[in-house]
Amino acid sequence: MNVVELPLAIFIVDDEPPARNRLKDLLADCAEQLPLTLVGEAGNGVEALDKLSEVHADVVLVDIRMPQMDGIELAQHLNKLHKPPVIVFTTAYDSYAVNAFEQRAIDYLLKPIRLGRLFEALTRARTAVPVRSEVLQELTPEPRKNLSIHERGKIVLVPIEQVLYLRAELKYITVRTVENEYLIEESLIALEKEFAARFVRIHRNCLVAKEEIEGFEKVAESEISEAHWAVRLKGLAELLPISRRQQSIVREFS
Amino acid sequence: MPKVGSINQNKISDVLPNFRNLGVVLRIVVIVNGLAFFVALTQASSMQDLWQRMVYGSAFLQPVLLLCLLVLYALNEIFARLTYAQGMGGVFITVAFLAWSIARLGGDLFASPTDYGTFHSWQLIALSISVAMLTLAYFRLRAHSLSPALADARLQALQARIRPHFLFNSINAVLGVVRSDPKRAESALEDMADLFRMAMSENSELVILKKEVELTRQYLALEQLRLGDRLKVNWQIQDMPQDALIPHLILQPLLENAVYHGIEPMHEGGEVTIKIYRIGKELNLDVYNPCQPDGRKHNGNKMALSNIRERLSLLFDVEGSYSVDAGEDYYRVHITIPYIREELK
Repeated sequence: MNVVELPLAIFIVDDEPPARNRLKDLLADCAEQLPLTLVGEAGNGVEALDKLSEVHADVVLVDIRMPQMDGIELAQHLNKLHKPPVIVFTTAYDSYAVNAFEQRAIDYLLKPIRLGRLFEALTRARTAVPVRSEVLQELTPEPRKNLSIHERGKIVLVPIEQVLYLRAELKYITVRTVENEYLIEESLIALEKEFAARFVRIHRNCLVAKEEIEGFEKVAESEISEAHWAVRLKGLAELLPISRRQQSIVREFS
Repeated sequence: MPKVGSINQNKISDVLPNFRNLGVVLRIVVIVNGLAFFVALTQASSMQDLWQRMVYGSAFLQPVLLLCLLVLYALNEIFARLTYAQGMGGVFITVAFLAWSIARLGGDLFASPTDYGTFHSWQLIALSISVAMLTLAYFRLRAHSLSPALADARLQALQARIRPHFLFNSINAVLGVVRSDPKRAESALEDMADLFRMAMSENSELVILKKEVELTRQYLALEQLRLGDRLKVNWQIQDMPQDALIPHLILQPLLENAVYHGIEPMHEGGEVTIKIYRIGKELNLDVYNPCQPDGRKHNGNKMALSNIRERLSLLFDVEGSYSVDAGEDYYRVHITIPYIREELK
């Protein structure tokens, strides 16, 4: 007897209801030749993250241009799941992203989607591995709107405008908001590049939010050592030391 | 359709300015007085003399100018029916004749016994025709510099319609309902056909307001098919004059802008409000849409908007206005144009 393959679990994310309908029609057509099952659909990124924490999907079909959270950011957050799904992007038109996809050989479908193309993409997705988040970030000039942390089976989103500082510690980065502290596994250099508009580097291991700077203070750790500058952030008691090399920011921001 | 100055021209061809337009009248007054000042400046021997020359000159110039404007206002309809060359001739004859008659009637009133002397008839006629010529040349130049906007409008409207984002998403949306709701798919395709037909049509520049509203409704129906409940439309057009004429493709691009930049990026969507009403001799169009507070800058459809601005300025001069009020979380465009009625032939 042949080995029975498990049907491919598919999830749809698109903000336009008729576009989701269209995909469902096409998936029904595909199902005649390719065992698959639709495990759910969502109208936006946040809803998709919620539902996909509950149910596993092998393949997620994601529209790129969506309000609130675009498809590329959603894909990056989905990578934090235990078993990240393979993402197939869909778009009506986006010359920037399409070029970027072509260059990195990432699969995407152009709307209106053809049955044949969808079938091929799903067949390939069976054996494909998810695209790494760093590569996904290269697909768009826009920074993410949230950072994400996998916490007890759920993806927690931390809006970037709530983050006060990012500090590298051993292999993790501490993400500090007024109320909480989270640990993420990303590179500080990549974060600095992505969020250049919000953060400024004050130390080899630390980026602070420019808008949240309250003031600068001179502190001396002991009576013998030389005093150095430190930055105070709004709503935070903790003082963050500024390295000698970054001293110029004291003048720039005060 | 009324022929009002340069309004219903399809191709860029020379036409006389609309002498009933306030902007045109003001421009003439400024140009003619500017020329008079220039002449006085070249002849004056002192500041005192310059002033006197202006005063004496004005005593003759202003009555001629005002009378000319009045007669041109009255004859506007007739001139508009002539070819450009005939019209020019008509203007020259009118101006020369009026200048000459005022000089004759005024007689000694304008004759200064001392320095300045009077004009001979031939001098006067040549002078007034020259001034009229310069003024008309200015209007012709102005029309030429602005008129690419007219030719571009149709092209741009077409491009906006074929804008990949709109076209492919709409086709995809139609495909999305074709199996479940074939009737809806049919009417959506019909709307698309109408939108394209309108954009490609060789219509005259002015259309009946009702038609433009209908076109805009068809466009919004297509967007509603895609966006569902997220797009709400509030039409406040109960006071809309049924017989008004407005420039072709002015309202619909405004809505396109409102949907693309305002409603679509908003997760919960929003309501677009369209108000059309008349106050006296003015027709007002007002399009309001909410937008995302942190929203990225409105940079997409600037082309279409600046085209609308140029066309209004060419068609209506100072009688048309276009203003934008961009708040933190809303965007409002207000257009005022003269109320032109459709006249039945």
